[in-house]
Amino acid sequence: MNPLVTVRGLSKHYGRQHVLESIDLELHADQICVLLGSNGVGKSTLLRSLIGLEDVKADTLEVLGLDPRRKPDALRRLVGWVPDHSDVPAWMTPAECARFQEHCYDGWDSSRLAQLFDRLDVPTRRAFAKLSRGEAAKAMLALALASRPKLLILDEPLARLDPRTKAEVLACLLAEVPIDGGACLLATHNLDVAVRAADRVLVLANGRVESAVDVSNIDSTQTTPCGLRARLERLYDSNTLEPVR
Amino acid sequence: MKTWTIDQSAQAPPSRQLVEAILDRIANGSLQPGDQLPSVRGLAAEVRVNHNTVARAYRELEALGVLRGENGRGSFLTPSSTQVARRERSAATLIQFRTALHEALRAGHPIEVLESELRQSAKESA
Repeated sequence: MNPLVTVRGLSKHYGRQHVLESIDLELHADQICVLLGSNGVGKSTLLRSLIGLEDVKADTLEVLGLDPRRKPDALRRLVGWVPDHSDVPAWMTPAECARFQEHCYDGWDSSRLAQLFDRLDVPTRRAFAKLSRGEAAKAMLALALASRPKLLILDEPLARLDPRTKAEVLACLLAEVPIDGGACLLATHNLDVAVRAADRVLVLANGRVESAVDVSNIDSTQTTPCGLRARLERLYDSNTLEPVR
Repeated sequence: MKTWTIDQSAQAPPSRQLVEAILDRIANGSLQPGDQLPSVRGLAAEVRVNHNTVARAYRELEALGVLRGENGRGSFLTPSSTQVARRERSAATLIQFRTALHEALRAGHPIEVLESELRQSAKESA
């Protein structure tokens, strides 16, 4: 089957500063792919480039059969997107946001959204400015899932949440993630999220995908959560930390 | 029904832990033939692991003859699930028991102490 996302040789420069350097990435159906990397390593830039929010150079850039540089609007109707900083106006309530977004997505499903809001206990009639961090994160996830997107892209969806809310949001994500032909790309610097959720982990460092770990394969050869965590930690550290001299 | 959990610090992969936990509940009678297991996504959310991990556990249980997936309706325990689960779990736990016993004897525990431990724990789980 064709991958849902194909990226070959993607680069992004700000002036002379190289943020991303010849990134290759493939995302297949029924996969949760975790993009692991420190703050400022270019995770957000990479995710944003997949939905046409960044001007990038690439040999191949294809998302759900579309080039985000040429057809960003058509593509955004199909992709569920949770940015790391909410782009919703602070005065808007989740319910108002839903009425606005309803027209921006194909496949919008209001009853599904109502279920998700309910399940996650989102105060739908309170402005985003007055929501707690956890409530806002849950509202954003529910809104991103409401269109039953074939591709779900999440930028640090669990960052700065307390452990209980983190568990709740992760559970919802794992229950509702687009499988059955869909896929999910999730950026995080949280190793536990990677260990629990990922089919595949890409370690992003120095503007490149430095390592890729196929979790589905190592789990079947008896790798424990601790073993996987240790392995990811080694890859992460070896690529992000300066060696001690 | 009791909730399911995965021990992130255990020396077994999550899918193996799920298989063992399900076999345990069948062997001790809290799950019966004909009972329905949670959906793959439902269980994945409950224990917070990837859905493919749960799917792998269910495939393993199907291969053992414990579980049968019925298209669109869910996964149900087979009539022979109790028998199979007891056989699987008794073989696996006997090996663990022997290992622990050897270690205890090597560490110098007197046989009488181990014997009374055994009787005590049989009394408690009866």
